[in-house]
Amino acid sequence: MPKGSLYAETVRRLAAAGIVVPENPGRRLVVPSLDGSADLLLLRATDVPAYVEFGAADCGIVGKDTLWESDRSVAELADLGFGGCRLVVAGRRADGYQNGVRYPTFLRVATKFARSAQTYFSERDLPCEIVALHGSVELAPIVGLADVIVDLVATGGTLEAHDMVEIDQIAESTARFVVNQVRFRAKYDAITSLLRRLERT
Amino acid sequence: MRLPPGVRDWLPQEFAFKREIEEKIREVFRSWSYSEILTPTFESVEALQQGLGERLMQQTFRFNDPLGQSLALRTEMTTPIARVVSARLRHASLPLRLSYVAPAFRYEEPQLGRMREFTQAGAELIGAAGSGADSEALFMAIETLDAVGLSDARFDINDAAIVDGALSAAGLAGDELTACKELISDRNLVALRAFAQARGGEALETVLRLTMTRGRDEVLELVRPICRTPASQAALARLEAILARALVLGYADRINIDFALLRDLQYYTGFVFEGYIDDLGFSLCGGGRYDGLLPRFGYDVPAVGWMVGVERILLALERRRADERPRNEVDVLVGGADAAAKAERAKGLRVRVDTRDLDRDGLLAYARHKAIPRVLVGKPDGSVEEIRVEPDEEARS
Repeated sequence: MPKGSLYAETVRRLAAAGIVVPENPGRRLVVPSLDGSADLLLLRATDVPAYVEFGAADCGIVGKDTLWESDRSVAELADLGFGGCRLVVAGRRADGYQNGVRYPTFLRVATKFARSAQTYFSERDLPCEIVALHGSVELAPIVGLADVIVDLVATGGTLEAHDMVEIDQIAESTARFVVNQVRFRAKYDAITSLLRRLERT
Repeated sequence: MRLPPGVRDWLPQEFAFKREIEEKIREVFRSWSYSEILTPTFESVEALQQGLGERLMQQTFRFNDPLGQSLALRTEMTTPIARVVSARLRHASLPLRLSYVAPAFRYEEPQLGRMREFTQAGAELIGAAGSGADSEALFMAIETLDAVGLSDARFDINDAAIVDGALSAAGLAGDELTACKELISDRNLVALRAFAQARGGEALETVLRLTMTRGRDEVLELVRPICRTPASQAALARLEAILARALVLGYADRINIDFALLRDLQYYTGFVFEGYIDDLGFSLCGGGRYDGLLPRFGYDVPAVGWMVGVERILLALERRRADERPRNEVDVLVGGADAAAKAERAKGLRVRVDTRDLDRDGLLAYARHKAIPRVLVGKPDGSVEEIRVEPDEEARS
């Protein structure tokens, strides 16, 4: 289970699928579900793909955006539909960048999504330098650290507040139900049953 | 001095364990009458390129010799074996049964169960088509994991022709078909659904179901109606034949059919399988039929093969804390009696010769400490005294 923005809805969806997370897990990292049918690992969202790839967790719930960045091999069984957001290229309104044109010949891009950003600009043959940051990327163009940013937007409020505009959408992301390929086989019945219940909710 | 990422040292005890496992694997290979072969650690990039897909070529360690020839470390053994068979064993009578236990090298992110230098053990059955040969590969793999102490390992099998048949029935061909197979292999249901919706048609719904279908004989009946091409019908019959043979050997409840199991798409042309245990998140062994490989070296014969990652087996065994007994590495300690030591070695015993000129008491103390059961002490008159030694408490624990 991803801590952070997807956590509340993940708890709700799991509960609807019959796996009830105890309230107040406190500081515990491994929490048994109320009925004891599952052990839940509370992880940083970005760590979910690694836990699943190694089979430390059988399955997980994680945003598609995290999967893009992780390059981990996990099977994506369902789009759970929540946690919707979009990965976009954005710049300062004042700079007037438009999609593909009027970019500087060598673009500096501030982002938490270095992999996705690199892929996006390489596919378009736009030479760029990725400035990998961990938070508040909107600040980078304002202080001249970068020309544009690549970041997730849910409502666009943050861009608006910093007088930035969306230049292009790279992709849309929602929460996904992912499994380890070997565990899928080893626990086929339990995992396919959970998948059906999650899809029904 | 630090080691580069992805390689490791094997200290004596670890290495002894590795060797022991490798010997058990070799024993299974011998019992199936396979002959061990070894090819060079590196060869020309061109030779490897002939057999390896794009992904493996990207993972090769490459370098130039002083004359500028491009060389590469082998990333696996099957391609070098295909080269050697097509060049030098072309006139040998078929089928050929070759095995190997050898290190291979891949440039990838080092992580649990994935090192840049690793040991592969495997077997190739060259010049044999049909489900009998496919079963041989599978049953050898089962016996190998049994022999190393992983008899709870389970195996999933499939035949690439079944998915091919279902996809071409859905009207897919060329790049689209390959892309779709990639998604099936990744079991990316989300992308497959999107693809099916964009294309429409019931046939793709069938493909989606196929991706999630796994089981035994009953799933064969499930897919029979959609296997309309001769190739996919033949594939179905092959899987049935393999399952029937497995039943006789008592393996039936360890084998499942997983229609999404495709392994390396560019490589395998028919039967494929993978073996795994429940407590590791990656497979231990795998293989399948690669009829397309030897023809690329100009020798038109079919082949089936499989391999197991030795380090992965060690990981599986270590996790279970199996085999923790301390090893006694010496059978006899000898002081001042070279001829006696030679005679002991000739008997096949592991002999330690004292180099510190210890006296009788010193030798006995050392033997007790190291849990060496016998001591031979040379006397001034040329005779040799033999003493049995009980290990002290510390050595025993």
